[in-house]
Amino acid sequence: MPADGTKAGAEVRRLAFTDGSDDLIRRQVAENGLSFTREEARDLARLLGRDPTLLEAHLFDTMWSEHCSYKSSKPVLKKYLPTTGRFVVLGPVEDAGVVSIGTHDGVEWSVAIGHESHNHPSQVVPYEGAATGIGGIVRDVYCMGADVFCTLDSLRFGDLDGPNAERCREIMLGVVEGIAGYGNPLGIPNLGGETVFHPGYDDNCLVNVICAGVMRTDRLVHSAVPAEARNEPYDLVLVGKGTDSSGFGGAAMASRILDAEEDNRSAVQVPDPFLKRVLRNATLEVLEVAAERGIAVGFKDLGAGGIACLSSEIAHSGGVGVELDLERVHLQETGLPPEIIACAETQERFGWAVPRWFAPEVVRIYNEVHELPKVSRGAAATVIGRFLPEEDVMRVRWHGEIVAEARTEDITAGVVAQRFAADPRERVREDVSWSGDTQKLRTLALEVLASPNIASKRELYSHYDQEVRGETYFRPGEADAGVSLPVPGAPIGVALAADGNPRYGELDAWCGGATAIAESVRNVVCVGARPRALTDCLNFGNPEKPEVYRDFVDAVRGLSDAARGIGTLELDEPEALPFVSGNVSLYNESSTGRAVPPSPIVCCLGVLPDASRATSLALAAAGDRIVLVGERRRELGGSEVSWLLGQRGRGDVPRPDFALERRCGRAVLALAEAGVTRAAHDVSAGGLFVTLAEMMLGGWDRARLGLRIDLSALPGESDFEKLFSETGAYVLELPPGDLPAVLADVPHVVIGEVTADPVLRVHGTDVLEFRAEELERAHGASFARRME
Amino acid sequence: MRVAVVLFPGMNCESESVRALESVGLAAEIVRANEPDRLDAFDGFLLPGGFSYEDRIRAGVVAAHLPVMERIVRAAEAGRPVAGICNGAQVLLETGLVPGLHPGRVEMALALNDSGQRVGYYCDWRWLVGDLFPEPMPLPFAHAEGRFVTRDPAVERAIGDRGLIAARYCEPNGRITRAWPVNPNGAFDNAAAIRNPEGNVLAIMPHPERANWAFQVPVAVEGEWREAKRSGFRDAPGPGRRFFTAFADLLRRAAA
Repeated sequence: MPADGTKAGAEVRRLAFTDGSDDLIRRQVAENGLSFTREEARDLARLLGRDPTLLEAHLFDTMWSEHCSYKSSKPVLKKYLPTTGRFVVLGPVEDAGVVSIGTHDGVEWSVAIGHESHNHPSQVVPYEGAATGIGGIVRDVYCMGADVFCTLDSLRFGDLDGPNAERCREIMLGVVEGIAGYGNPLGIPNLGGETVFHPGYDDNCLVNVICAGVMRTDRLVHSAVPAEARNEPYDLVLVGKGTDSSGFGGAAMASRILDAEEDNRSAVQVPDPFLKRVLRNATLEVLEVAAERGIAVGFKDLGAGGIACLSSEIAHSGGVGVELDLERVHLQETGLPPEIIACAETQERFGWAVPRWFAPEVVRIYNEVHELPKVSRGAAATVIGRFLPEEDVMRVRWHGEIVAEARTEDITAGVVAQRFAADPRERVREDVSWSGDTQKLRTLALEVLASPNIASKRELYSHYDQEVRGETYFRPGEADAGVSLPVPGAPIGVALAADGNPRYGELDAWCGGATAIAESVRNVVCVGARPRALTDCLNFGNPEKPEVYRDFVDAVRGLSDAARGIGTLELDEPEALPFVSGNVSLYNESSTGRAVPPSPIVCCLGVLPDASRATSLALAAAGDRIVLVGERRRELGGSEVSWLLGQRGRGDVPRPDFALERRCGRAVLALAEAGVTRAAHDVSAGGLFVTLAEMMLGGWDRARLGLRIDLSALPGESDFEKLFSETGAYVLELPPGDLPAVLADVPHVVIGEVTADPVLRVHGTDVLEFRAEELERAHGASFARRME
Repeated sequence: MRVAVVLFPGMNCESESVRALESVGLAAEIVRANEPDRLDAFDGFLLPGGFSYEDRIRAGVVAAHLPVMERIVRAAEAGRPVAGICNGAQVLLETGLVPGLHPGRVEMALALNDSGQRVGYYCDWRWLVGDLFPEPMPLPFAHAEGRFVTRDPAVERAIGDRGLIAARYCEPNGRITRAWPVNPNGAFDNAAAIRNPEGNVLAIMPHPERANWAFQVPVAVEGEWREAKRSGFRDAPGPGRRFFTAFADLLRRAAA
């Protein structure tokens, strides 16, 4: 045996995992850039009944990575998260979930939605990392047969005023440019999301992307070889960019802790949104032709594990085998070895399972009609293999020689890793304190409004195209959720809101999960949409550490409890809000072992049967009444004000009361759908003061109307508590006259009215007055200067 | 009346442009740049927005040098209406169709935004006024290279003298203020849209197809739009509709 541990059996390299010593296994794993533990290497040899080839080793290394196999998280997700429901067309089993949004002209329409992270790549190379984050998630949605109509981003960056401020700012700017640099040319509007800063992200930013596409429900395409392939020959057509070595080992990178930056750069892929736009046009044409002629097809994107992963998964899901001729794959660079061709994560590629007679037509649409090879050097559509109705293996040939062969069941089954949770976290039981005078309270309020987490992100969003496709109803910041009208000619609105507060998560992971759901539901309800589905992305540190794993489990329990407790509001019989898509991103730690705060991030998808009922957060008319719906409690734990006062860690974190959230949500929704509500905004980070100021500023930081608010009717010990406690609630602008009857069933307080002069007057123990210009400056200009 | 929405690889506003043209009673079809033989059958042409050839070299320049544009130039010279929105406008400038003082010569460019306050890509709303929008209208824009410039003072003078600026960035009341934020990209004379002397070719940087219906207008925009947004869901016209009715008028006049 040669010194590098490979056996020279013919030309096919094999790794000595069966008989190799522990030391030899470790060396082979390291030398070939693999991530297997010793046990996993031996498991693989046992599974195959022989030493794996180099290609097989790379394939299984990817499939067994945390990123692909969810080996730490899968049992927890399965145990807790609800995934079914009345409106679910497809739960979280393929690349994206699918939710019914209603019928127009006799045709039922659905939204396909996916939620992904691209955290490590964005930390290492922010522009490319964020851009390929968008590029990856849009493929997940396209491959369901949908046309992507929007993206949202949940971004988490380090402290812009801390010791790593300059690096954190560079990463933020790079990520924003990357999102813009991909989404804008692709022609996808950005509908929002949120941006949060916390020193816990200094060494590990989070870039979570949500993407939604629209389609006729009957046009859903599965990531599986269709059943017809048992009776007639089916081929595998690879379309898109020429395969290169980029992204080789990317899934493994996402599944371990970041170390020296240089080591990881080659694992980040290269984005090409220009090619993707043409690919999208050609793909929609193929889908149309297939649907019109009733041709059964399978369609799947290429991500982690590249061609090998695509082939085994699409074949396995269809209950057939697959045989690849790797030398037929169109390449971007010559001289690539088979394991790289099979496993590289080159961007902008899809795979089709189509009848053999239809394959030439598919190839023609990509290569001739849309001229893929002319659009991007090396790009093409090529038949690279065939499906095997009688077998259950994936066989990979390289110039005739078999370089990999394994049962698709074995390749795709994944692994489970046993993790252990530490005991519950001990909490400091000290409350947030305040003893300033009125003048100080006034200054504090403006500081809250100007803090990076609260201040307007309009400047940031102006780097993104928010209106391409011409379907945007509410842009980011205009309302509590982004709203689009994606169904041609129909009044159906789709609302999307993303939420997650790491300050709550780090004090109480259960609350972090539960409040994320409660807030995203509230946001969707505020615009007048019916919450129908959830997606989640769970960003945590190293799950092998019991404290991290405990937080992970607690957060998932919080998500589950909230989704079940609040339920699908439009249904009288409570039914859990279903999770239709999600992602888990672990090992978000720096090399110094600092994990990110527990960061469950949630997106809620809502539907407006008639979007003309949609309500923004902007005040509409002087004389209207301002009504708070919900309860007030002293919940200052993790609040914006606690951080500004240097008292982080103190106080009770907001704990949603699910039954109350459900009642309030249903009442607010009824008011919106009756066309009564003039404006609505939720109470969340920053507290009631921020809610009121933002309603006055109207999304564009221009106040034309004012508010006179009386705090005396609200429960609470002090103006400080009433203004800054972050207990979730709704604030509505309703026309003058009798209060709507539906409010009788829920806690509510009339707290003031809209005034013609643009001043915010708060009457409490004392009177606080804020002129429009002060609020505009604090909220509008404070974040913008950080982006210059 | 049939309009071809000419699609170069990388453009991405073709579908909403078709819908906007249809809203004023025109028949519109997407024609890819690699099917030039189809073009002769159309009465007018719209080049939509996007990133043709990923803005290589300079936005619009690659598309402008492809053979298919020769057909568009010939059609324009024959009097058929041609409009370019955003990236489409960039292509029209790079072919010399706009301003078209000396046909065939590239006399202007759309340079990188530089308002003095902000450089590079920018997506927001501004008010426009001019003979294209006699009443000031709010429209969205989204571009990195939207600053009308020319090196030749004579061209600038001629454009002014002959009234070729069809729309200018203005305040909501129609007043034209040169400085930021009214002028978002530093374009000379606040130019947002320029036409040729014959009046049948028009290049506009903002996106009328994204303001063709009231529902597309942000709540924060002054005026009647917020109420209109709540009234007739998708049908209530928006401030950009005026652009398409003007284009339809142009087609009818050219055909007469």
